[in-house]
Amino acid sequence: MRLEVEIGRLRLRNPVMTASGTFGYGEEYAGFVDLDRLGAVVVKGLSLTPREGNPPPRIVETPAGMLNAIGLQNIGIERFLKERLPFLRRFDTPLVVNFFGDTVDEYVRAAERLSGVDGIHALEMNISCPNKQAGWSIFGTDPDVTHRVVGSVRRVTDLTLIVKLSPNVTDIALMARAAADAGADAVSLINTITGMAIDIRTRRPKLANVTGGLSGPAVRPIGVRMVWEVSRAVAIPVIGMGGIVSAEDAIEYMLAGASAVAVGTASFLNPTAAIDVLEGIKEFMTDQGIEDVRSITGGLIEG
Amino acid sequence: MNRLFKAEVVSNTHVSDTLSILKLSPAGAEAAPAPGQFYMVRVSETLDPLLRRPFSILRWDEASLEFLIKVRGRATALMRSLKCGEELDLLGPLGRGFPPPPPGATPLIVAGGVGIASVYPLIGSLARDAHVFYGAPGMRELCLIDEIRGHTERLHISTDDGSLGLKGSVVEALAGFLDTSGVTNPVVYACGPEGMAEALIGMLTERGVPGYLSIEERMACGVGACLGCVTRTVSGYRRVCREGPVFDVRELSR
Repeated sequence: MRLEVEIGRLRLRNPVMTASGTFGYGEEYAGFVDLDRLGAVVVKGLSLTPREGNPPPRIVETPAGMLNAIGLQNIGIERFLKERLPFLRRFDTPLVVNFFGDTVDEYVRAAERLSGVDGIHALEMNISCPNKQAGWSIFGTDPDVTHRVVGSVRRVTDLTLIVKLSPNVTDIALMARAAADAGADAVSLINTITGMAIDIRTRRPKLANVTGGLSGPAVRPIGVRMVWEVSRAVAIPVIGMGGIVSAEDAIEYMLAGASAVAVGTASFLNPTAAIDVLEGIKEFMTDQGIEDVRSITGGLIEG
Repeated sequence: MNRLFKAEVVSNTHVSDTLSILKLSPAGAEAAPAPGQFYMVRVSETLDPLLRRPFSILRWDEASLEFLIKVRGRATALMRSLKCGEELDLLGPLGRGFPPPPPGATPLIVAGGVGIASVYPLIGSLARDAHVFYGAPGMRELCLIDEIRGHTERLHISTDDGSLGLKGSVVEALAGFLDTSGVTNPVVYACGPEGMAEALIGMLTERGVPGYLSIEERMACGVGACLGCVTRTVSGYRRVCREGPVFDVRELSR
């Protein structure tokens, strides 16, 4: 049975990754999961300087999902390299570092700092944050801005570059094409969907930030649809995520066109979720007589 | 040590309209908790409710774990209706519990409502020297009174509506005690709802009385990954699940 997949120059031993922001810096789950069994570890988004994040409450559960407004809290790239990376270097699994900035220059400087560091194998750009140069537009919602920021990062790094797309757009295929044209090696989707919940008795928002990002099984049909749209629009690999809790969910994403998948919110309810998904994919392949996991990708039969 | 395990419901005792004590028997030998630690309980195999819920350990022995459950929403209502023999998925023990009192200190154990669960294990181990302050909106929200009296005579009950004990808040009762009893070297161990926690932090800070407070916050992962459960401290946001749930009150002075 062949489980290996390729994302840019990354060779993954299997297609199951963790989703940024749901797996900490790896260490938090190392007591439950052998990190060397994962396709890749994707760590919590980093910026050049530490971010304090939003005031609590930061999370609220919704039907089969959750809203979060963490506010990109992180320890900053320098502390990550010094305090967290040495632990992750002990594993063979490719390490994907998610990062973001408020300006094009911050993205570029972050990518430069992370490139050429021993133990970092790929970068995932979070373009779902506010673009402080252009007022409150978002790097991930204007294809011209997406093209500019991805192109600028592409010029300074040789690492495999994954661009994580926001679902909060009218036409996600347009965003994917902008990223691909600018030199992205792969796109990952979906990031969370902006949502809101209100306590009807106090009449106050349930999150201190008022709005937050929806994740979990509730968003999966949207993610599958968007992966299907994007995989038909670009030639680069697509990493599918959004509400995957089981192997069935992962295979659904792959049939829609994903070359690899990421397990996110499911790790919160089940710390071994990523490994369980992997084992389930292997069982499915055995049952279906599938030799090569890559043959599942885009296997949707239409009409 | 395996911190992810299955446990079977041994008993589910309804002690009031909203409170119940759930006794679970883990499938194998699990790590022993310390007072103030908690477990993340997966309430249902379905995806709604989705996330685990955090519960402080109330009592334990080699063969069982007990939790005090207050019905607040759908997940806790499901827990109240669990039957003997049903199986739950647990993650724990998690977090930092209460540190032991320094030599010569007088422990003052303070609980608001269901916060009794977090400090209850201290009552058995410290009760000989300790005072217990236990408050709730009304007497129907108090439980385990006889068990606490079995450990100590020095139980100070207060209720907002005056239905049992002193009329007023538990923080007022504690403040009155600190100001009039002449107690030497007090150290406070507390858990309660947000309003009580805020009042307690202010009251202790004002008097310079040391204390440890177990903080309640919504959690998703319980292991420090999601950063969903932070609370504000003097050194920035800290994760309740990892750096807490018990914090030194001086860390929380706002």
